[in-house]
Amino acid sequence: MSTASPPLDAAPRGARLSLPRIPLGTAATALLLLVLFVVDLNVQPGLWDLDQLGMLVQTALPLVFVAAAQTLALLVRGIDLSVGGVFAIANTMTAVWVGADGGWPMLVVVLLAGLAAGAVNGLLISYLSFQPFIATLGTWTAYSGIALMILSTDGGMVPTVLSDMLYQSWLGIPSSFWIVLIAFLLWRILRASRFGHQLLAVGDDEERARLNGTPVRRVRLIVYALAGACAAAGGIMLAGVTSTGSPTSGDAYILLSISAVVIGGTSLAGGRGGFGLSLMGVFSLTLISDIVTGANLDVWVSVAASALLLLAMVTIRALADRRTARSAA
Amino acid sequence: MRRLRGHVSVSTASAFGLCAVLFLIATIHSSGFASGGNVRQLLVFSAFIGFAALGQTVVVLSGGLDLSVPWLMAFGGIQLSHWAGDGLPGGVAIALVVLAGALIGLVNGIGVAWLRLPPIIMTLAMGGLIQAYLLSLGVLNSGDSGVPHAAEAAASDRIGPVPVVAVVWLVVAVAIGIVLARSAAGRRVYAVGANDEVARLSGIDVGRVRLAAYALSGASAAFAGVILAGYVGSTYLDIGAPYLFASIAAVIVGGASIMGGRGTYWGTVAGALTLTVLSAMLPLFHLSDAGLKVVYGVVILAGVWLSQSGGALVARLRQRPSSPTTASPEVKSVEP
Repeated sequence: MSTASPPLDAAPRGARLSLPRIPLGTAATALLLLVLFVVDLNVQPGLWDLDQLGMLVQTALPLVFVAAAQTLALLVRGIDLSVGGVFAIANTMTAVWVGADGGWPMLVVVLLAGLAAGAVNGLLISYLSFQPFIATLGTWTAYSGIALMILSTDGGMVPTVLSDMLYQSWLGIPSSFWIVLIAFLLWRILRASRFGHQLLAVGDDEERARLNGTPVRRVRLIVYALAGACAAAGGIMLAGVTSTGSPTSGDAYILLSISAVVIGGTSLAGGRGGFGLSLMGVFSLTLISDIVTGANLDVWVSVAASALLLLAMVTIRALADRRTARSAA
Repeated sequence: MRRLRGHVSVSTASAFGLCAVLFLIATIHSSGFASGGNVRQLLVFSAFIGFAALGQTVVVLSGGLDLSVPWLMAFGGIQLSHWAGDGLPGGVAIALVVLAGALIGLVNGIGVAWLRLPPIIMTLAMGGLIQAYLLSLGVLNSGDSGVPHAAEAAASDRIGPVPVVAVVWLVVAVAIGIVLARSAAGRRVYAVGANDEVARLSGIDVGRVRLAAYALSGASAAFAGVILAGYVGSTYLDIGAPYLFASIAAVIVGGASIMGGRGTYWGTVAGALTLTVLSAMLPLFHLSDAGLKVVYGVVILAGVWLSQSGGALVARLRQRPSSPTTASPEVKSVEP
């Protein structure tokens, strides 16, 4: 009898623990997003039109996927600077190798190339004990070189199936919404799977995960491989949105993705956060630059506002964490 | 403690070794590589990385990271041009710019030390703020009124056959080397980087060490921006962009641990020379820009692996004959 009661007891306790913690952080970020959205609606009244809003979401799509990659890396207490290189490889492959007449199978191959590039990061980090920062700093340079080999200057032809899909609507809703929704659902499935639990366990406390029999190295390898595939998806999206390829397009997304993910609330210390939060971070940054454009302000206002938002969110969380730690002690 | 120091000197030596081997290969391939003019050029380019990575080294040793270096460099050049354009004498303007860089770095330090923000985030946001400030200054008037003569002289004058920049760099390297290795301040930097909790308990003002490290990084990166602008003869927003990678790569190729507490500035000097020699020699082998980047990335990973695993291996081999207690270094090498 006493052996039967702990599992019964454990399930609700786990639920009770996770319930109050998530809404607090999420609510703050969601409120921020809402405020920014309302401001943007006032500055750009065109956004009341669903198609216009769809275009705004579309401009955010590349960052959405790079942020997904960065979220995965941060969740296992790592970082991925090579997203810029993988992004560029996928972007140039789409514009040169897949080409205007290419179909979906070839785009899947591009994703697989991203998976392989990410797996190299994973091997370096898991099996050769490189620090994630250093490993991905090195591969970022190498991957950028590969992208330059594929395409030396901006150009190329993007598959029409891709650009058509991006500018279509399904059930009256622009496809960019569907893409974000599908990405989010894929994350929820991953999160609920056994692998998702292992991923969070490794990020939360690697030693304990190892003792519990989690294959820590393999989990890390897979996480970085998936991050590579996500970054590649970002590169494909940019190619589709801009209808051209660029070997240097990825670099801007490296630090931007870290900003977006951290604004969302995923912790650099691992094990806490998720793609849903990162989505809110991505759209906060997107709205800021849209507000600045709509209000005819200088570019520097948008840059400064993004940096200040990052600082504010991180400072608030650091202070809140310290208060929690103090009250617990 | 002696074991630790032996380890450090091994990885510094292996970084210098790597640089020497690369230089030798390039010289054998084409003898012009070792000509006075080319070596001078290599030294000047290395000095840009060396100054950009100077504060970065101390920040990394203390367990942090400074991602605002490229923007601090852009600030160094652009602010200098603005102040010089306003009629300040060149030398005064340079001193003011370096001081302003130190103040910006100090703000980084405040965020990291007092607000306890992750260094990556604090310095990333600071980079954004500097970028916003530089953008708000507006476009510089074109023409060569921008960079003052003093900065151009600093970048191109020579003492006999040796560029002034290289001499200044050597003097600074010796000074930083002595401070890090011999002074109490240097020991505090290593202690904070190795374990800040232990450092705090042993009475070190951890916050002050961090403040000083980031302030130094701000000053040295701004100075690197000044001499780079002097060399190029003009300034633009992205002038520092390559140095985000270069300043960190030089530190880690030089054998420092990105986790802090281990490394030397001499290692960084070797790292800066290695990076410069590498990027100068690869075109000799008819590599395209693209191939160059791939090789660059791979060599850096190999260099890091050599200086970390190789250093540990040498230390372990050296240990084996003298003492039977090999347990502790083995454990240490497995842990990371």
